[in-house]
Amino acid sequence: MLQDRYDKLLWLGLLGVIGTLGFFLFAGSVRESAAVDAGSLDRAMEQELARQAKVSFVEKIYQPVSKLRQEGQLQSALLKLDELSVRYPGEAHGAILKGEILLEMGALDAAVGSFVAAVQRNGDYVDQHHPLSRFETIRQLVERGLREIAPRLQAHPDNPALAESRKQLFYLQSRLAGGCE
Amino acid sequence: MRLRDNHLLTVLTAGIALGALGVLLAVWGNPENSGICVSCFIENSSGALGFHGNERMQYLRPELIGFVLGSTLAAIAFREFHSRGGSAPLPRLVSGVFLIVGCAIFIGCPIKLFLRLTAGDLTAVAGLLGLLAGVWAGLRGLAHGVHLGRNSRERGGSGFLVPGFFLLLLGFLLLRPGFVIFSQAGSGARHAPMLLSLGAGGLLGALAQRSRFCITGSLRDTLLMGRRTPLLWGLLAFVGVAVALNLATGLFQPGLYGQPGAHLEFAWSFLGMLLVGWISVLIGGCPFRQLIKAGEGDADAGLVVLGMFLGGALVQTWGLTATAAGVPMNGKIALLAGLLFVLGSSLLFRERAD
Repeated sequence: MLQDRYDKLLWLGLLGVIGTLGFFLFAGSVRESAAVDAGSLDRAMEQELARQAKVSFVEKIYQPVSKLRQEGQLQSALLKLDELSVRYPGEAHGAILKGEILLEMGALDAAVGSFVAAVQRNGDYVDQHHPLSRFETIRQLVERGLREIAPRLQAHPDNPALAESRKQLFYLQSRLAGGCE
Repeated sequence: MRLRDNHLLTVLTAGIALGALGVLLAVWGNPENSGICVSCFIENSSGALGFHGNERMQYLRPELIGFVLGSTLAAIAFREFHSRGGSAPLPRLVSGVFLIVGCAIFIGCPIKLFLRLTAGDLTAVAGLLGLLAGVWAGLRGLAHGVHLGRNSRERGGSGFLVPGFFLLLLGFLLLRPGFVIFSQAGSGARHAPMLLSLGAGGLLGALAQRSRFCITGSLRDTLLMGRRTPLLWGLLAFVGVAVALNLATGLFQPGLYGQPGAHLEFAWSFLGMLLVGWISVLIGGCPFRQLIKAGEGDADAGLVVLGMFLGGALVQTWGLTATAAGVPMNGKIALLAGLLFVLGSSLLFRERAD
């Protein structure tokens, strides 16, 4: 591979490019350039900012619901959630709050449905370390739900609503168990 | 077959290492039952490179880089690195895409299938039956003259391109430039320590290169040769070690419901793995084996690997991938397209006696 002048030229070019690359890598130019380009290229930073902004945003828009809950006005809180769901359709946090309120009201099956809707839209709620995490609430819900639903299903084996609730509990159980999803 | 047989010992070592590290990597931080999952790793890595936007599935998995570079180093050390290729390149690229589609429908590659089974996930039985059926269907195809054609030695060092790409990924992993994304939440954020993952991947890559061990290869050879094939013993060693470690670490949770990263649509799990098994036999190995072959200089396998990266992006972007809730309609359609592809290819690539 070093037969004639053309080969030599190619080798020379190759060595030149390798040398320049080495200079950029070892002289720290890549890091300097990364710092300069950070504004346009650091997607990880952008994602982290977006994540924090989202947490603040949902806390802000659902603050009236939280306030009504604290005051014990659960029906009013549900009505407020319905109102907000028109303005922010598909927002998972509303479904989470609805599930929590329904649970406080003792409507277990309806609460399960709300938690499932929320987790399907946003898996952050079953992440143990996420600021919005509801891992422990959902774990307790699944434990209680599976315990309570078994005798009810035995008594009414043909009840499709109960079978659906059990399926939803298995879904939540599977999401709590983790895995690559 | 003698136990002192060097090949058998290498295969057994590879099987034991794959089973042990498959469980331990999950203990050290990878998602449950996903200590090693080539398809999940590829989806994560294509997300890290910005090929898809699922913020929960973006991480440049060091194991993947280790598999390829470990294989390259072993192949070079034992003078087995040869640039070769030229056998139906574009169909192989598309095969790579559909391998990932099949895995996404099942939720996991053939290695993860066995890791799920050895952790007590009974939903994976449907996948196992599908994989066996797929390997059998592929073998029937081979017996009837279906093949993609021989590859040949290639000039120009084409075999270095895929290892070179993974070397670049290693650089990205170490230097972490701003355009590479690392998930802050979800399964992409869950990983074993980087150097441990890289080392485990490198070791497995080297062992798999030396032993030729892979899951579908083991099933294929077992269907062809029965107990005489060393790969069967490698697979049994893998299963035995994985079961023992899952039991020892408390990860063995037998049952059908509430399993991590699993769904209850058994027919689609069956079909997903059937597609993977069938394609794997036609292209000469499962997703893991394709990475190893690409590391040895096989440019055809390299195209499958690139196809898998493309597939990893598509299954996420187009919403094809199954979740614990089940298989989405888009995924079902993509799987059927995959079956159309493999059936059509079998017709078109069949060598008939005129």
